[in-house]
Formats: sequence, C-alpha cells, structure tokens
Amino acid sequence: MTLQEKIAARKFVVLGEFEPPKGADFSPFIKNVNLARGRVDAFVVPEMANAVLKASSLGGCAFLEREGIEAVFQVCCRDRNRLALQADILSAGALGIKNIMAVLGVDISYGDHPHARSVNDLNLIELLDTISRLQNGKDLSGIELRHSPRFCVGSTVDISATGGLLDIELENIEKKVALGVEYFITNPVFDLHRFQQFIKRLGKEKAAVIPTVLLLKSAGMARYIDRNVKGISIPSEIIRRIQKAPDKPRECTQIAGETITYLKELGMAGVLISTVGWEDRLPQILNAAKL
Amino acid sequence: MIIAEKKPIEEVIEMVKDFRKILIVGCNECVTVCEAGGKREVAVLASSLRMYFMNQGKDTQIDEVTLERQCDREYLEEIRNRIEQYDVVISLACGVGVQFLAETYSRFPVYPGVNTCFMGVTEERGVWSERCQGCGQCILGSTGGICPISRCAKRLLNGPCGGSTKGKCEISKDLDCAWQLIIDRLKELDRLDEYEQIAPIKDWSTERAGGPRRVVREDVRQ
Repeated sequence: MTLQEKIAARKFVVLGEFEPPKGADFSPFIKNVNLARGRVDAFVVPEMANAVLKASSLGGCAFLEREGIEAVFQVCCRDRNRLALQADILSAGALGIKNIMAVLGVDISYGDHPHARSVNDLNLIELLDTISRLQNGKDLSGIELRHSPRFCVGSTVDISATGGLLDIELENIEKKVALGVEYFITNPVFDLHRFQQFIKRLGKEKAAVIPTVLLLKSAGMARYIDRNVKGISIPSEIIRRIQKAPDKPRECTQIAGETITYLKELGMAGVLISTVGWEDRLPQILNAAKL
Repeated sequence: MIIAEKKPIEEVIEMVKDFRKILIVGCNECVTVCEAGGKREVAVLASSLRMYFMNQGKDTQIDEVTLERQCDREYLEEIRNRIEQYDVVISLACGVGVQFLAETYSRFPVYPGVNTCFMGVTEERGVWSERCQGCGQCILGSTGGICPISRCAKRLLNGPCGGSTKGKCEISKDLDCAWQLIIDRLKELDRLDEYEQIAPIKDWSTERAGGPRRVVREDVRQ
C-alpha cells in the first residue's frame, strides 16, 4: 500500500526522516535507509533543515526512487523562487516521486550560510496552491503543462502555537486542506499532555496529523532543546529519566518507542521518526515501539 | 531621496469612500521633490476627492495639511490636537512616513496615497531613477561610484553578464548596463586594474536577509 492509500484507509503510517549528506556521497544514506526498509512506509527527505547546507531533498528522493523506496519530497519557500520551485516539482513528478511536503523553512540567519539572500518568493499557502495548480495541469502563469504531476501532498502544523497564533494555525489547516493537503506533520512531541490538548482543540477528524517523534541523544541535548528551540518543550521527567539511566542511548531509544506507542493508541494518523544523525538506530526504535 | 508615485485616484477612493471626515497629510521632504506627496499634490487629491463625493451626493469634509517630515515624531506631533476631528487619514508620505504616522496615531485608520518606489535621483524634472537599495555594505569605492546592486538588473558583482550589448542591459535597450558604466568610469579614472580584482561573494545579511534592520548609535542616543 502506498502512503496515500494508507492515510486514506486510516491505517497507522510510519515515516522516517533521513537527512541527505553534507557532501556528494549518498551511500551511507542509502545504507541506513535499507536497514529500515519494509518497516517504514516512506522516508521524508528534508530540504536543508535549519538552513544548513546539505544535498537537496530532490536528490535524496531520486536515490530512494531508484531503490524502489517511497519518498516524501520536501519543497521549501526559503531558497527558491516560483520558477525554481515549479521546475523541481515537475522534475519530482517525472522521477515518479509520489509524495510532496511543503515547508516554509527557518530563517537563513539560523543556518550555516547566514550571509546568503533568502528568497521567500512564495509563502506556504501560495506554494501549496502552486502544487495544486501544477497537478491540475497549469503553471503559475496559467500555461498548460504537457503532463501534470500527481502527489500525495503534506504540510506542517505548529502544535506549540498558543492564543491568537493557535487560532491562525487552525484556520491555516482548513486553508491547506482546501488546497489538497492530505496529512500534517507536527514539530517534535515530548509533552504528551499538551499534545493531547492540541488534538482536542483541532478535532481528530479535521485532518490526518502525523506527530514527529525526535530521538534524543542525551540529557544535555534534551535540556538544550527545551531551553533554546522554539516550539519544543521537554518535560523534566524525561530529562531526569535519561540522566539516571545506566545506558543512556538505549533509554533514549526506549523513550522514542514509548512515545510512538502512546501516539498510536491516541489514534494519530501515524508518526514521523526523526533520528538526526543516528539513522542506523531507526530499527531499534521500531522494535521498542513494536512496529 | 525616496521616490514615490501617486496612487491612481480610483484606488484612493476605494479606500476612503465610506468615511465622512478625511484629513490628507502631505510631506515636505522627498515626496515633495518627486512631486508625489507634497503640498501641491495634497491640494490636487483633496480637489479630486471633493469632486467625487459631491457627484455622489455625499457630504464629506476633506482637509489638508503638509508636515515638514512624517518620519520624525516632532513633526507628527503637530497634528495631535486636530486629528481627533477626523475619521480617517490619507498620508502622501513614503511608506516610512505612513507607518510612523499610523504608529503615532494608532486609533486612526491611515491609508497610503502614494506607492513608494525606490531611493533615487532626479535625472530631469519628471524622470527619477534608482541609485541605492540600502544593502548595508557600500562598495561604491571599488566600482567607480556606480552601484551594481541597484543598477544591474541581476545585481551582479564581478562584471557584466552575457546579456550586455553595446553598453545596454538585456532587459531593455533603454537601460544602461551598470557594468559597462563601471568599466568606462574606472578607465576614465585610470583604475581599470581594480576591475580585475575579484570581489568576494556578497554578504546579504546586512540587506534584508537578516530581517528588518535597525541602526543604534550609542554616541548620539539620548
């Protein structure tokens, strides 16, 4: 079953996030993907996450497609104008990539090329509209395409939004659904109580929500994320649990597995497992989650 | 100076047609020089609006004032006592002035009466052209006083693109190729060897890439 079919059939989907290399060799990427092959429905290939230069999402997806593995191609507003975005989307369609996910991208000043000029020609809603128009056979200038691409379209949702920003986020979900978005990936979830409140506010039936489960690597990393990364809060019990554990990496894997199990029981559409550099541990996380 | 163009009257009417007490605020600086938002343009806009409302049979009060500048609080304060009488303000200042006026009188709806275009010069009366994009890292010293960021269509450093033909830019035969101008000027100054030096890749963080900018001068701050 494809990712799209599974989402439509309301079956729990498992996505793995695999960063392309910072370099011109995809072999470690492919090696790690193959470790989890058959246990993950599709691999999300980020487009220069955190504005850090890496090989492109399209490049990574092309490698996966060649291996016969389902990929989720990320298109990002930050670095490309409407021409370049459309060109990549058409190329992705031609390569047979079945899934696309639109993201805004964090500001360029956060990355490793802070002197670069950001583009942001289209915003997220406009980019989703672009994908929809291309799928309907016309480009942004209204010119007919010879063959239109077909995708299962995804986007992001910020579950950390509160107050007025939460209202906007919820409104945006409706706009995005109207533009053909079939699933929403959240920022990493650690505070399960808070996540549940968000889902309650959204209403489970409104959209297929796929929360991100981020593999922590140490108590220090957890503390740093909790203090410094916008939109992610990590309960102190989790940090203490890692601190006390004799085998910390194993404990982190266990925490990720338990979170996945919880989210599955909560009735989420699926999970996106992000291992940020520890991609070879994905099978252990899946074992811990009994997937 | 900042160059602006008057908005079409239909657009202004659309913005203010439902108000009955309108104050039009001009600016005595850049927009006066480029004849888009000074005292005279305020008077012309006021007359056009009066005529429109009269034809509509609507009794609308339209008043005029032109401030020395709208980008300084002290001049904006001059209308504090009278602004209460109005339902709406149309500012004919550049986008900077419109925003500062709106910030100062946040309870009042403020609409722009001009489109702010660029920082430029008066080539001749009625002709203004761009000279600066405020990129925050001036390289005019090495380009013979001609800015490739504002005057080259592709904002290129290190020489012209392949589209430069007979001194003109590929996007229009009416537009000089900035790099042709730079080379000609450096030649004239006997500094052509400077053209051979490769400029480093531009740091755009001082432009808009780093977000909205701010200059803080502690030595003059009060």
